[in-house]
Amino acid sequence: MVVEYISQALVNLADPFVLLLMVGGIFLGILMGSIPGMTATMTIAVLLSFTFTMEPSQGMILLLGIYGGAVYAGSIPAILIRTPGTPSAAATIFDGHPLSQKGEAGRAIRVSTIASFVGGIISVLALMFFSPVIADAALRFRSPEFFALAFFGLTIIASVSGDSLTKGMVSGLLGMLVATVGIDPVTGFHRFTFDLPELLTGVEFIAVMIGLFGIAEGLRKYSQGINSGNDRVDQEITGVFPSLSDLRSIAPVSVGSGVLGSFIGAIPGAGGDIAAFITYNEATRWLKDTVPSFGEGNIRGVAAAESGNNASTGGALIPTLTLGIPGDSVSAILIGALLVHDVNPGPGLYQEEPVLLYTIFVGFLLIYVFILIFGMLGANYWARLINIPKSHIWPVILVLCVIGAIALRGNVFDAWIMLGAGVLGYVMRLRGYPLAPMVLGLILAPIAEENLRRSLVLSGGSPTIFLTSPIALVIILLGLGAIALPAVRSIRANA
Amino acid sequence: MFITYDCLVSYHEAEEIMVIQKVGAVLDRIGLESVRSSPLSVFFILFSAVVIFFASQFPSGDGVGPSFFPIAVSLGIIFFAGIDVLTGSETELEISEFDFRPAAVVTAFLVGYVLLMPLLGFLVSTMLFMPVVLYYSDIRSKLLVAALSIGFPVALFYIFGRIFLVRLPEGVIPVSRLLPQLPLVVTF
Repeated sequence: MVVEYISQALVNLADPFVLLLMVGGIFLGILMGSIPGMTATMTIAVLLSFTFTMEPSQGMILLLGIYGGAVYAGSIPAILIRTPGTPSAAATIFDGHPLSQKGEAGRAIRVSTIASFVGGIISVLALMFFSPVIADAALRFRSPEFFALAFFGLTIIASVSGDSLTKGMVSGLLGMLVATVGIDPVTGFHRFTFDLPELLTGVEFIAVMIGLFGIAEGLRKYSQGINSGNDRVDQEITGVFPSLSDLRSIAPVSVGSGVLGSFIGAIPGAGGDIAAFITYNEATRWLKDTVPSFGEGNIRGVAAAESGNNASTGGALIPTLTLGIPGDSVSAILIGALLVHDVNPGPGLYQEEPVLLYTIFVGFLLIYVFILIFGMLGANYWARLINIPKSHIWPVILVLCVIGAIALRGNVFDAWIMLGAGVLGYVMRLRGYPLAPMVLGLILAPIAEENLRRSLVLSGGSPTIFLTSPIALVIILLGLGAIALPAVRSIRANA
Repeated sequence: MFITYDCLVSYHEAEEIMVIQKVGAVLDRIGLESVRSSPLSVFFILFSAVVIFFASQFPSGDGVGPSFFPIAVSLGIIFFAGIDVLTGSETELEISEFDFRPAAVVTAFLVGYVLLMPLLGFLVSTMLFMPVVLYYSDIRSKLLVAALSIGFPVALFYIFGRIFLVRLPEGVIPVSRLLPQLPLVVTF
C-alpha cells in the first residue's frame, strides 16, 4: 500500500511544472527568509492565492518549498548581520554571528546548510512514520475528544507564544470570536452578519492572516523607518563543502536536535523559534567541554539551532495533517490552503487522500535535498540578498497583500477585512499582544464550537461527557495545566 | 418620629453618594492609571460586552444555542483582559523608536488603493498606488519608480490573470483588456 502511494507520489512529483513550483518556492523562500522582517508565515499568506487554481498537491509543494527555504535562509542574516531573517533563526545568532566576526561566515553558513538539511529530513521522516499511527488512533476520536484537542491547542498556544499568558489568551479568544461570524452551523442562524452577504460564509480567515502577518508587519516597518537597519554585507563567502572535521563535529548534535526539534514542532503552537531555542539550550547542556565554548563561535551551536528549527517544519505538519490542529502559524495557513480545495485535514485524510499525503511527504523530502544543493552552491549569492533595500520590497508586498485578499473570492470586500486585520494586528503587537494565537483561534473555533455542541447534544446537555471520556479528560487537564503552570510560575516569581 | 419627604430624598441621595464613593474606592484600588496604561485591554473588554449584548438576543436553540459560544468566548476575553488591566501589565513596546505617522500615512494610501480598485481596476489602481508608496519609501530614482510601477502590475496581471486564472477587478473601463494576450498557450 505505502509503496504504491509513494510510487504514485513520485509520478506526481516528476511533472516538470511541479518541479518548477518546488524550485520556485524554495528560491522565493530563500529570498524572503534572507531579508529580515520577511517571515515564512508572511510569504506563504501573501502568495496563497496563487495556488487556488492549482491541484492541492501542486499548491502544497509550492508553499512547503517557501516554508523550508525561508526557515533555512533565516540563518544567513542571523550569521552575517546579527539579525534573524525569520524568528526561528534567533538562536542561530548566538554562535553564528561570532563566527562571522572571526571571518568564518562561510563556514557557519555551510554548517547551517548541512544542519538544516539533516533536521529537515529527520522531521519529514518522523512525519511519514508517526502521522499514520496518530491518525489511526484519532479515528476513534468523537466530539468530546475533538473539543478537548481544540481547547488544548488554544491554551498551549497562548502559554508558549509571547511573554504574557493573558495577552496570548485574549488574542486567541479574539480569533475565536471572529470565527463565529456567519451562518451558525447547527441552527442556520445568522450571527454578526449585519445583513452583509459577504459575511454569510464567515470572515475569510486567510484575508485576516494576510492582514496580521503582511500589513501589520509592513506598518511596523514603516513606523521604524523603512530604510532603517539596512545593513550591508560585503563579506565574500567562498567554498562549497564543509570540511570533514566540521562534519564529524556537528553530526551527533544535528541528529539529536533534529529528533528533539521534530517533537517540539509537533506541539501545537510551538514553532521553529521555540524549537531552536530548546535544541540550542540542550546542546549547551550536553556538550560542556567544547572549544570554543558556546556563544563564542562554536559550529555545534549553529548546527543545534538550525537543525532544530528546520526539524520543527515537518513536526508541525504532524498535528496539522492528522488532527486538523495546526502546529504553528505556517501550518495554520496550510490548513487554509487545503480547505480551499475541499480537502479537510484530520484523521480521515489518510483514507480519503493518501496519494496527496505521500506527495506532500516525498515532496518535502525532495525540497530539503534541493535546499542542500542550493545552499551549498549559492551561499555567496544568498548573502547578497540582504543588501536589497527594504524600500524596494515593502511596496511590492503591500500590493501582493491587497491582491492576495481580493483574489480569495474575487471580492474587494475581503481587502477591507484584510486591511482591518492589519491595522488591528499593528496596534496589538505595539501593545505586546502576540498574533499567532489569534490565527490559531480562528482555525480552532469552528472545531471547538461544533464538537462542544455536538457533545452536549449527545449527553443531553450534561457537561460530564467530557469527564467520562478518559482521553478528553486527560487532554483538557493538560490544557488547564498549560494555563496554570505559567500563572503559578509568575505568581512565585512575584512573591 | 416621622421622616419628611425631603429627608427621604436626602437619604436616597446619601445612599447614592455612598455607592459612588464605593465605586470610586474600587476604581482607586484598581488605579485609573492602570486603565489608562492598558487602553487596548479596556477596549477589548468593552467590545466583548457589546458582543455579549448582541449575542444574548440570538434565539435560543435546543440545549446550547448559537449564542452560547460567542458569549462564553467574550466572557473569556473579559476575564483575561481584566487581569491585564488589574495588573497593569500591558506594556508598550519600543514606543520610543516608533513614529506612528508613517504607519497612518501608509494605511491611508492602502485605503485609497482599495477604494480605487473597483473603479479603475487592478491594473490602473496599482500603477497609481506604486509610485506614491515608492516615493514615500524614499525612492527617488525616476527610472526605478517607473519601471516598478509599470512592470510589476503588468507582470502580476499576466501571472495572476493569464497563468493562474485568478479573477482580478477590471474596473469600469477594462483597460487591462488592451494588453496583448500571452504568445504561448499555458495549459496544465
